[in-house]
Amino acid sequence: MARAGGITNAVNVGIAVQADWENREFISHISLNVRRLFEFLLQFEATTKSKLASLNEKLDTLERRLELLEVQVGTASANPSLFST
Amino acid sequence: MEVELPRPDNPAMTFDEVSMERSKNFVKALQELKNLRPQLYSAAEYCEKSYLHNEQKQMVLDNLKDYAVRALVNAVDHLGTVAYKLTDLLEQQTLEVSTIELKASCLNQKLLTCQTYTDKEGIRQQQLLAFIPRHHKHYILPNSVSKKVHFSPQLQTDPRQNYLHAKSRLQPSDTPASKTLSWHLSSETKSTLKGTSQTLASNEISKPPAPASEVFQLVENGDNARAKSSAALFPASNALVPSLGITHRELEGSKPLTAFRSFDNPKRDIIRAPVRSKSVLSSFFVKQKQMKLKAGYVA
Repeated sequence: MARAGGITNAVNVGIAVQADWENREFISHISLNVRRLFEFLLQFEATTKSKLASLNEKLDTLERRLELLEVQVGTASANPSLFST
Repeated sequence: MEVELPRPDNPAMTFDEVSMERSKNFVKALQELKNLRPQLYSAAEYCEKSYLHNEQKQMVLDNLKDYAVRALVNAVDHLGTVAYKLTDLLEQQTLEVSTIELKASCLNQKLLTCQTYTDKEGIRQQQLLAFIPRHHKHYILPNSVSKKVHFSPQLQTDPRQNYLHAKSRLQPSDTPASKTLSWHLSSETKSTLKGTSQTLASNEISKPPAPASEVFQLVENGDNARAKSSAALFPASNALVPSLGITHRELEGSKPLTAFRSFDNPKRDIIRAPVRSKSVLSSFFVKQKQMKLKAGYVA
């Protein structure tokens, strides 16, 4: 009886250990995917930052060019008699 | 039971409406991603309490595993949607900026064109007042010239050509073998004038025509007799003289020509260009200046 109980205990421990290993494997899979998600987020942040920086630079350049054009058009429109034939 | 009528698609949307729709979708996706966080926190607390208080722990654990997997997939899906919408929005903004840059370049080119036009107009208006010489002072032809320079006595010459004629007479005697264009022009003028004078003489005057040397005999300072005789012999030539630009004043202060022939004769004698005195040339230049001033005032 005691021997049967001992065998049962050993089997239970074995099952418990197996279940524990399965749980650990599951947890490792979940954590791995979370880390991959985190890496994707970092890469996405870097890419978006560079795109936004280039867009900002283009907008600054465009703003300066438009200011220059505004001044030039104002100078040209100040003397409309120049363009009259 | 209500039946939802399908909303008709609206294809005729303007560019602003499309961009606004994209922005709204991005904001909505971002809001949903933000709402995931409290949902996951509440689900974690519920699983913890149920595992502690419930007797069937294995069932709770299995449910927790399934929920964790679905939550992770849901989070990845939301993140993907937000990233896609943000990238699409950035591309749209970049495209708009590029379009505006092209339009600004177009405007810049138009302004540059207007500026160039005004500059050219200003220069053109200013150029009318200033005298810009068109020709060089003299042209030098090569030695082996077989070209014939035509010069009709009936044509009215420009004052510049007369200037060239006068200038050619200033050529020194020790000029190189290549003759100047003005000298050749003057020589041709004399040859043609000789021919016309001969025809006129035959029509109007009974006297035989004088040799060419007499007509073109250029007298030195103070000798007007020959000039008067030449004028008397060929009165019709006086009509040609203004057209040719040759005046009596020019004839006065010049040396006689020894001999000259046209370009047609292959055998040509070496001819020396006559030298004029300065007084005649100075008077000629005064005339030229007067004519130029008149041209400037007329313009």
